Amino acid sequence: MVDRRAFLGGLGAAFLASRLPLRAESSPRITLLHTNDTHSHLEPLASGSLAGRGGIARRAALVKRLRSQGGNLLLLDAGDVFQGTPYFNRFKGSLDYKLMSMAGYDAGTLGNHDFDAGIEGLMTALEEATFPILNCNFTWEGAPRLGQKILPWTVKTFPGLKVGLTGVGVEFHGLVFPKNHEGVGWRDPVAPLGAVVRRLREVEKVDLLVVLSHLGLDHHGAAIDDLNLARLVPGIDVIIGGHTHTFMDTPVRVDDTHIFQVGYAGVNLGRMDFALGPKGEAIACGSASLPLVDRRG
Amino acid sequence: MVLSSLFLSGALAILPSAGTPTLAAAQPEAVTPALPEDPAVAQALAPCAAIIRKEFSQVLAQASKRIPRGKLGEENLLGYWVTDLMRERASRCLGQPVAFAFINSGGLRADLQAGPVRVADIFELMPFDNELVVTEYTGREVLQLLRGGLIKKAGEPCSGVLISLQGTPERPVVSASWLQTAPLDPETTVLIATTDYLLASGDGLPTRGRSKKVIPTGLQIRQILLEACAELGSQGKSLPCPAPGRYSFAPGMLEALLERRIAW
Repeated sequence: MVDRRAFLGGLGAAFLASRLPLRAESSPRITLLHTNDTHSHLEPLASGSLAGRGGIARRAALVKRLRSQGGNLLLLDAGDVFQGTPYFNRFKGSLDYKLMSMAGYDAGTLGNHDFDAGIEGLMTALEEATFPILNCNFTWEGAPRLGQKILPWTVKTFPGLKVGLTGVGVEFHGLVFPKNHEGVGWRDPVAPLGAVVRRLREVEKVDLLVVLSHLGLDHHGAAIDDLNLARLVPGIDVIIGGHTHTFMDTPVRVDDTHIFQVGYAGVNLGRMDFALGPKGEAIACGSASLPLVDRRG
Repeated sequence: MVLSSLFLSGALAILPSAGTPTLAAAQPEAVTPALPEDPAVAQALAPCAAIIRKEFSQVLAQASKRIPRGKLGEENLLGYWVTDLMRERASRCLGQPVAFAFINSGGLRADLQAGPVRVADIFELMPFDNELVVTEYTGREVLQLLRGGLIKKAGEPCSGVLISLQGTPERPVVSASWLQTAPLDPETTVLIATTDYLLASGDGLPTRGRSKKVIPTGLQIRQILLEACAELGSQGKSLPCPAPGRYSFAPGMLEALLERRIAW
């Protein structure tokens, strides 16, 4: 077994270590790439301190380049794809999902602003998404057709590695115009997520469990957030977060859970590399927040 | 083992397949202008971008200086500009004075930069289709709202009042006066302007649960901003950047507010 303390001490702040089930024979690895709160910023930002950064065409090229290196890779999003530029006002999110699909996203979740076009608008936009949208803490009794389009969890299988994915969303109250989420309810994510985690661990036997969260990193006790979620729901390896637009250079670790969020508007592409150790318990991950720079800038 | 260290801006820890973890020093490779766009995505985006350029690039006016939202604890000058316009338009719409207007800072999504102000800039700062509404608040309710804004965001943008946070962190005192320096009477009812979204959902502010009559104006906030810019532009005037000073704090109280040391 790896001496985690010595490992950490030697590697510095950018290094993270955790415990995961082992696939000793193959030492499989996976790279998680992720965005959050892209907010219809399909082009690089035009002004402000981040001018020139972002843009989905450049993000897609970067992802393609990383995929071409042949490793296991997932491209994920933590919600709030919609709202923020005239692209949303004009195309109502359909263009966002279409281009995300072309960029090769593997899964996403719903943020509060993804309801800004209402239930029907969201359903129309989702027709362009070729990747699953995940959520396990919304209820769909009043919007069953939308509910049929949302998966509570999914599993991605790679050689020697199974990744479980799920998603959680922020409470609508105070954030979403009631008419825009009519028929969709919110539950505190702890219980439903706990059930999904147990399913993914005990039945699906996943090696890496990733939660796409639009709860926000830290609400200072005012509401459930990613920091609390990691404490309250054991068994999560990674929380890819959003909502608070938090710029993080490296993930934070709470117990055995790594939490990462990379700002907003697609100006960064988060990256976490996980390798399952050959002897049983250890897993290492590198992480970085990758700036996307406009070559025209 | 070779995990790509390209693009990494920090150290990368790697477990090699042999077993013992080692660190592969990772020099960051910036994603520079040399990185091309994905041609398929760029091609799909191009016609839509052309539509956006055509429909949203009209210059409405000039901003002689940047109008920022401010960081937490700074005054939201952009919010002051927006709420001043909301109050003015609501007053004009109803034909009677509207004493107070407020909006949530989270509803303003981008700063206004100095230089040409385009339609797209207004859509980016106010992407929502929220409408201007008018309702009645007592002075006490206005104070509750201001207090709620202080707790939530160290002060939310508003128009028509001067707000003061005095006292001590243990015994904070929120007070307000109308712009004309008249004290805010807790019992007096005034007309206030806000958005239909805030009245319906609150965004964490104490706006909900009221049974009072809501007067719709039929005006989108964004349309108000677009028209105000167009009007200034047609007159050859620049957008005004409101002066700070609507919030004042006793020594140490702003710091206590930001550090969440106020015993509300």
